[in-house]
Amino acid sequence: MDSIINPYLLFVGLAVAGVGVAMAVPRKRVNPQVIGAVIAGVGLGVVLLGLALANLDAIPNLHFYVFGLIALGASLRVVTHPRPVYAALYFILSVLASCGLYVVLSAEFMAFALVIIYAGAILITYLFVIMLATQSPSEERVEVLAEYDVEGRRPVLATIASFVLLAGVTSLMFKGTAGLEPAGGDDRAAEVLVDAAREPTNTESIGVDLLLGRPGTIEIAGVILLMAMLGATVLARRQVDLEDEAKHRAAEQLAARGGLVREEVQA
Amino acid sequence: MTDLVTMAQSSWPEPMAPATLAAYLLLSGAMFAIGLVGFLTRRNLIVMFLCTELMFQAAGIALVAFSRFHLNHTGQTFVIFVLTVAAAEAALALALVVLLFRQKDSLSASVWREMKG
Repeated sequence: MDSIINPYLLFVGLAVAGVGVAMAVPRKRVNPQVIGAVIAGVGLGVVLLGLALANLDAIPNLHFYVFGLIALGASLRVVTHPRPVYAALYFILSVLASCGLYVVLSAEFMAFALVIIYAGAILITYLFVIMLATQSPSEERVEVLAEYDVEGRRPVLATIASFVLLAGVTSLMFKGTAGLEPAGGDDRAAEVLVDAAREPTNTESIGVDLLLGRPGTIEIAGVILLMAMLGATVLARRQVDLEDEAKHRAAEQLAARGGLVREEVQA
Repeated sequence: MTDLVTMAQSSWPEPMAPATLAAYLLLSGAMFAIGLVGFLTRRNLIVMFLCTELMFQAAGIALVAFSRFHLNHTGQTFVIFVLTVAAAEAALALALVVLLFRQKDSLSASVWREMKG
């Protein structure tokens, strides 16, 4: 049985993509982010192209490439954008692109649930916390990016670790997925809805699978959410004082701002 | 020549080719790796948690792709639990981040260096 993709092509493409991602991580002085993104795109593009050329009869449809490009580009931007608010907005874009992929995979219900829960609820919470926890620029002060946002920590080592992991996982593709047989499908909803005289919809099938196949898991999910809510409430209502060092820093900042205003008044 | 849009992947009851599944798995793996790079390199606590959400997202794509490949709904059902865990994690992590921010007036992960032990 021939392998699904040439291993050398896969490893070289992933190495090129890793170099690109490492270049795109934010740095202080020279910041070749666009070049890094292009190199990462070329690397992954080579692998996908190799995958398509090796299996001409099994090319994923056009929407896969469009949504995949948007999803990967947006994820790269989440990781590399120095401003947290923009990172969160790009994350919403990558969630929307993944929803497109879900629809292509005929999982409509999960696509809409993802838009509502992820992009609608979780990310809004993130945006609120980002706004609570960053100082807004005032009229006399231009916004300064925090030092810890501008510079990544050990980009080369981190990229090597991640892409070696990715190469290890994807190397299973040489023969692994080719050996898998597509299953005949066991749609229990068709048996349950036997009176309906029609094909069960995606939502009905998921509901039957969830309630008949795995009834206990809903209880577990409920307990997880309840514990998270209790924990978050306990954590959030605790009163904490600023530490001495942080107090000192805040005082210095206030003093600097006051000095700036005074200089402007004198001028 | 088949239609470019539906090439090798038609709608639900049709089986999907293993090589098509491999393309989805590669995409999901690349997204996971990018999220991991972000988690390891970024020093802002909020962005670090955002990167873990990115990894959840990648796992979801792999689950749905396998669900489509095996023509059952198990993978899609598990995405519901990925969503549950992501929501619980976001609530707890953000409460923690706000608490930590109030104590040190900084979102940098390195101000908590003493926790290294």
